[in-house]
Amino acid sequence: MKRYNLAVIGAGPAGLSAAIEAKKHGMKNVAVFDENSRPGGQLFKQIHKFFGSKEHKAKERGFRIGEELLTEARELGVDVHLKAVVEGIYYPMKRLGVVENDSLTNYSADNVIIATGANENFIPFDGWTLPGVMGAGAAQTMMNLNGVMPGNRILMVGSGNVGLVVSFQLLQAGCDVVAVIDAAQRIGGYGVHASKLSRAGVPFLVSHTVVKAEGSDHVTGATIAKVDEHFKVIKGTEKHLDVDTICMAVGLSPMSKLAAMTGCEMVDKGGAVPKTDKYGATSIEGLYAAGDVAGIEEASSAMITGRISALAAAKKDGYVTEEEFKNEYDELNNSINKLRKGMFSHENKGRTDLTKTDEGYELSQTLLSKGYVADNEINSFPGVDDDIKGVHPVIECTQNIPCNPCQDACKFGCIMVGDDITSLPEVNKKSKCTNCGMCVASCSGQAIFLVNNDYEPGFASVTLPYEFLPVPAVGDVGVGLDRSGHKVCKAEVVEVRKNPAFDHTTLLTIKVPRDMSMKARFYKGMEATL
Amino acid sequence: MRIKSHPIIDDFKKGRLVKFTYNGKEMTGYEGEPIAAALKAAGVMIHRYTKKKKEPRGIFCAIGRCTDCVMVVNGKPNTRTCVTALEEGMTVETQYGVSAKKEG
Repeated sequence: MKRYNLAVIGAGPAGLSAAIEAKKHGMKNVAVFDENSRPGGQLFKQIHKFFGSKEHKAKERGFRIGEELLTEARELGVDVHLKAVVEGIYYPMKRLGVVENDSLTNYSADNVIIATGANENFIPFDGWTLPGVMGAGAAQTMMNLNGVMPGNRILMVGSGNVGLVVSFQLLQAGCDVVAVIDAAQRIGGYGVHASKLSRAGVPFLVSHTVVKAEGSDHVTGATIAKVDEHFKVIKGTEKHLDVDTICMAVGLSPMSKLAAMTGCEMVDKGGAVPKTDKYGATSIEGLYAAGDVAGIEEASSAMITGRISALAAAKKDGYVTEEEFKNEYDELNNSINKLRKGMFSHENKGRTDLTKTDEGYELSQTLLSKGYVADNEINSFPGVDDDIKGVHPVIECTQNIPCNPCQDACKFGCIMVGDDITSLPEVNKKSKCTNCGMCVASCSGQAIFLVNNDYEPGFASVTLPYEFLPVPAVGDVGVGLDRSGHKVCKAEVVEVRKNPAFDHTTLLTIKVPRDMSMKARFYKGMEATL
Repeated sequence: MRIKSHPIIDDFKKGRLVKFTYNGKEMTGYEGEPIAAALKAAGVMIHRYTKKKKEPRGIFCAIGRCTDCVMVVNGKPNTRTCVTALEEGMTVETQYGVSAKKEG
């Protein structure tokens, strides 16, 4: 029987990171088992730029991070078993039963890290089993991995980050997102994600739920309705939406069945998860859990928890000294703690009493209920200063989220976030903006614009991040849309910048009337007449 | 419908175009892509009908968890089309209950 120093179950961000870490510490035989034919878990369908800071690979797109992890794992000689279903973990023999090619093979492993990830949650409603109703993750798989549109006209149910990110990706794939609804009174995900949708014209309806998927053999429409504060449908508020697809983004549950089978102690943490210490160690010696299966977070944290578990296993078996262990653990722990802060952290999740940012700025209520910062709210934030002469960044980042690539992007000191990466970025009036555009392209939330109020007499220019096709050309004349997606002015494209360093984010500069420089935030071509 | 061009993804890295049959009708798809993707691109929504209530089901989770998209593939029922790679010459059939035949 083949014996491994470490067997990892799940080749997603947590699992691959764990295997890489173990190899780096000198573990000879390290295997990763995954039931899919492609490794990477859900990383390869994440085509947006990640948040965090440099150490978390911020501003890199998820699928590129996946490719990097795979290359590293391959180079280090990690044994990756694909189409390999782990059917059972047997303790105390420390044995794995794995079905590969329809036959069962047993492997023995000194350490096992369970990194099986999560499942999407679903809510049942009338017609929810009809073809055309699917998970937001399913839609993401179809469009971003398989290159097939999940539908033409989509209703997104759920406004957490998954719902917001997938909605934007649906637009990028060429689908029409008819609405994003949420039963809660507030949009659940990052304001910057919601803003990208709003300015492109996607409406948000909070305190709304889906009551029916219409159609006899596939979805031909949806009925939505308002809900009261107890999430009960308010009779008479039903409304028909013309859609052919309903996507559900209503949370994730840890995929912890395999862990439960081992008999390790389980606890409830948004679904049953193995009880773990700070190293991811379960109640069974040599058995660890990392990533979403140990508690839902996101890919950046999963990569770190995977590494921590592997480090702990390496220490247990004498591959690292006590001192090395302590140093590296402290570093990893600091790194993950940076991600676990801010308005959307576990401790603040679901809080409705927050009215101010950590710095004391009034939170935009319009952003929370409608998905965009209102004109009369935007000027109060530290990244927005409209009095600066010439080209300058306008940073519409108004919530404490763990992210700071903008600070690193500006080599001229125009942008300050500080040591705490959840702080709101501040624009430094004195520093000189060179119009390089790096901040615009590096902002994972697409919340940075370059504004020049002195572009031409009577006209200003606005440079915005653009990730759609077709890319407009210089000289095109269309309309400027405001933060809510309403057409506000005529706009002429005066510059189109593409650069490998921008990583597929095109920088579009539009010329707008001077009084529209703090309003126009999106561009649509001529078909969208004023 | 297939995405012809995408602002972020340069290449969906498809295999060669191959023929397969769906309920006896000839169709094409890319080798190695999930069967479900080829069907979706061709506009097929219904993968199976449930045994008791005979309700239609289609793609739901797309990662091999929910089993809503199972069909009869090369004569084998309960094949998860969202995680089974398309091969040349495959026969793909709508599944009724647990077989490719409509029951009374």
